Amino acid sequence: MQAELEMNQEQEIQFKQMKKKKSKKRLDSWLLLLPALSIFIFFFLLPLVFLFITSFKTFDAATGIGHDWTLQNYAKFITDQFYLGVLWRTVKIALITTLAAVIISYPVAYQITKIRGRMKNYLTLLVLSPLLISMVIRCYGWVILLSNNGVVNNALMKMGLIDKPLTLLYTEFSVVVGMVHVLFPYMVLSIMGSLERIDPSVIRASQNLGAGPIRTFFSVVLPLTLPGIFAGSVMVFSLAVSSFVTPAILGGPQVKVMSFLTYEQVSTILNWPFGSAIGFLLIFIATITIIIYSKLLTRSEKGVAIQ
Amino acid sequence: MSYLCLENVMKTFNKTEVVKKMNLEIKKGELVSFLGPSGCGKTTTLNMIAGFLDVDGGSIVVDGKPVHLLPPNKREMGMVFQNYALFPHMTVFDNVAYGLKLRKVQKNEINQRVLEALEMVRLSGYEKRYPKELSGGQQQRVSLARALVIKPKVLLLDEPLSNLDAKLRQEMREEIVEIQKKVGITTIFVTHDQEEALAISDRIAVMYEGRIEQVDTPVAIYNQPQTDFVSRFIGEVNQIQGHVVESYSGNQCKVSFNGYQQVLTCNGKNDDLVDFYLRPEKIQIYQEQSEGLRVRVERKMFLGAKTRYILQLKNQQLIADISNTVLNPDQILEGQDVLAVWNPEELLATKK
Repeated sequence: MQAELEMNQEQEIQFKQMKKKKSKKRLDSWLLLLPALSIFIFFFLLPLVFLFITSFKTFDAATGIGHDWTLQNYAKFITDQFYLGVLWRTVKIALITTLAAVIISYPVAYQITKIRGRMKNYLTLLVLSPLLISMVIRCYGWVILLSNNGVVNNALMKMGLIDKPLTLLYTEFSVVVGMVHVLFPYMVLSIMGSLERIDPSVIRASQNLGAGPIRTFFSVVLPLTLPGIFAGSVMVFSLAVSSFVTPAILGGPQVKVMSFLTYEQVSTILNWPFGSAIGFLLIFIATITIIIYSKLLTRSEKGVAIQ
Repeated sequence: MSYLCLENVMKTFNKTEVVKKMNLEIKKGELVSFLGPSGCGKTTTLNMIAGFLDVDGGSIVVDGKPVHLLPPNKREMGMVFQNYALFPHMTVFDNVAYGLKLRKVQKNEINQRVLEALEMVRLSGYEKRYPKELSGGQQQRVSLARALVIKPKVLLLDEPLSNLDAKLRQEMREEIVEIQKKVGITTIFVTHDQEEALAISDRIAVMYEGRIEQVDTPVAIYNQPQTDFVSRFIGEVNQIQGHVVESYSGNQCKVSFNGYQQVLTCNGKNDDLVDFYLRPEKIQIYQEQSEGLRVRVERKMFLGAKTRYILQLKNQQLIADISNTVLNPDQILEGQDVLAVWNPEELLATKK
């Protein structure tokens, strides 16, 4: 009896020690996450919560944020054709940018993964180079190219293809061009990642079974890179839908987008509650678009998990 | 009449000759193994036959038609890869049906042939699974079904069992041979595992440094190796040196191994030193015998059905594997002097 009791006690002590060890291990992993987590919480999540609260407040001309609760900010946006138009344009530009980035990036990524050795590093660096230049400088570069007496229009007129300059700048087109230029490296990198993960013998298997290069590409390579296309698209779309500098410089007031609208409300009109509401609607719409997109992709390819 | 014919096939990578003027003829329905250490060119040769690598010289002929200039998708060969290479985004059914769809086979026929192929590899009922939901052995079976369903002219197996565990490997190799014989398909099996090659092949092509050293039946490869490399590579061998005491006409010599004299076939002159190979299981040991090579038992290892004796002869070691039913291992003590005896016909003389 006595011995049994002692044993039980011993076991209990052991059990407690084990538990302690386990919780210590847990603590360790939290400790590693702490720096990133604290930045995320204090500088992203908390402000977002405040913004969310603000978006339900009334506008007070004197203090900016009023004291009463209201749904007026959202109602104002949803019922106004102008605001809805801006929202539609923003999403449209982001979608076109994403699509264009996929089409441009895929062949580049495909070629880079086929090359071996030092050349591959140089090409990767070349693809990444747009990210090394300030966004403002790059945008003004496009202004020089696309303006009415810019390089493109001058060249076309000299060749006699057009009589008067085309309106290239301050259009949705120029915004898309500028954004694709900035964002396509993200797409290239993520497609490269998934291309490199394809087992070369899978491609050989396809050829061996009788598929030519084109058939192999569409039946095997493309489906297996959908995860990469998806990851790249999410990055490009969310950066495009929320971008401010590129539409501001290359689109100007003619091509107003959501971020420009928010900026206007917050810093010019000082209507913070309405600005917050616009910001939140943008987050909401972008999230929904991404969810629909991922649903479409996962439904088409069940065997490959979309990371 | 040979069905698959390699004539002077060559491959060079960066000025290194990986495959050197290789010639091989394979009969219809035959299973030939390419056996050799890694880097001997066996996989390179297989890839040239499949069309994944261009030949740098020579020709490959299948059923009377040269195929070495065709792209891989026009060669009608079925290949099973080491890592299975199933399409991860397709179900088992779609994987197997892939080649048939490309050949524009009618839908009902595709259905029927895929189900038949899966039944053959004992995977009926797995049609809707994805490759990642299958075990390694099951994946390899799907791979085999996928290669066979298109009724290829030649089946190419690239180390198909090396990713499986030992027990499964044995089961699978028997299954592969069974299916191969049933279908009657000409097959090339690449492996570095000699036991595997000996067990399943009709003939083995032993390869070394880009050359075929010997092509023969498993029994002949084991018992009559033609080159030094084959004798050393296949099975275990003892290397022993003897000197010619007296040479007779007709390639007969009296050779002495440290006093143990035997008359055997070899072409040496008086006082020549000659190297011989001898399989461990061909040595008998006796405690008392009129003639034999006097050696000391250094160590003995009990291996179940047989016992391995390490025998010390001056500065050289011999190993002898003796069945425990022939000699009770308890009778032999470590450190004891015994006489090693063998039949002179079992000695494999080497070409010097």
